[in-house]
Amino acid sequence: MITTATQAIPATRHRLGDIAALAARWVLGVLFIYMGLSKVLHPVEFLKLVRQYNVTDQHLLLNLISAGLPWFEIFCGLLLVLGIAVRGAALLLVAMLIPFTALILQRALGIHEAQRIAFCAIKFDCGCGAGEVLICRKLIENTLLTIAAAWLMFWRQHLLALRPGLFPQRP
Amino acid sequence: MRHLKAVVLEAIILAIAGLLLALAANALSPRGLRLARDYFPGGPSAPINATHSTDSLVLRLQQHGLKLALSNEVAQLFRGPGYEQGLIVFVDARNDSAYQSGHVPGAWQLDRYRPENYLPTVFPACSVAQKIIVYCTGGSCEDSEFAAMMLRDAGIPNENIVVYGGGITEWTNALPFEVGARGSGQIIEPKR
Repeated sequence: MITTATQAIPATRHRLGDIAALAARWVLGVLFIYMGLSKVLHPVEFLKLVRQYNVTDQHLLLNLISAGLPWFEIFCGLLLVLGIAVRGAALLLVAMLIPFTALILQRALGIHEAQRIAFCAIKFDCGCGAGEVLICRKLIENTLLTIAAAWLMFWRQHLLALRPGLFPQRP
Repeated sequence: MRHLKAVVLEAIILAIAGLLLALAANALSPRGLRLARDYFPGGPSAPINATHSTDSLVLRLQQHGLKLALSNEVAQLFRGPGYEQGLIVFVDARNDSAYQSGHVPGAWQLDRYRPENYLPTVFPACSVAQKIIVYCTGGSCEDSEFAAMMLRDAGIPNENIVVYGGGITEWTNALPFEVGARGSGQIIEPKR
């Protein structure tokens, strides 16, 4: 009886982890699809917003980022929702979210310094696809999304997934 | 370690596939950007913390060899006889939906991000005009400046072109504006 109970606890934990991973995948996936679509529908607006970050003076690179990034976000979002190559897609999300967050922070600090506004009162359209946002809230949101994506990189079991990994998994 | 390697390899494959798909989707999309086109020619990148005062706008226009038109000057031109005769031309540098929702009566649209659709009709009107007033939303909007440069590059004399810094926001507060297509006759009186 005792043996059965101790075996049941890890199994339940695992099951809860699988459900949490599914929820994380769907939340991240739907969010990235939504954000990507809102940019794809207004590419010129997104181009102007990307330019505001002063990441490059090369127009070809600026156009590549503005034209490619929204579709790339949709692509990654779809992979997560469908459960295809989940860990690789999660790594790509982490690789996108960290520089995005750093750029938003850098721009917010610049505004804070130039306009002497309380940091958490700073509000601007970060080009994230949701219009004007309060920057503190955005930074917290991005941090949580990064943590969720990073966690998905290491979770091996995925419910309702078409092909969780491109390569066969070894035990 | 092996697990991490597999994840990184998977991400690299996805990145390559995703990038190719993204570029293909952009090329096929009717709203897609043209990768080779310089959408912001002849100017430095937008300053991060730009303050959009009239002084900074004048400086920016001077850098591009352009002149600023203030609201009283623009209103005078609009009410003068030259406007009816087509010697004073207004050019709206915003996109379709913004233009349709309200523009200077009789203004020509020149969405500078898709000039191939607009320049063939706007250019003949501008080439016979004595004064061309280019505007966009106003405030931080730079599209009027770039549209003005586009007209200049197309062959319109620079001395005929002015940029109305107040834009449609300032205009609709003081002067009548037209909604819908150019010449629709749907004139709305100013908001105040």
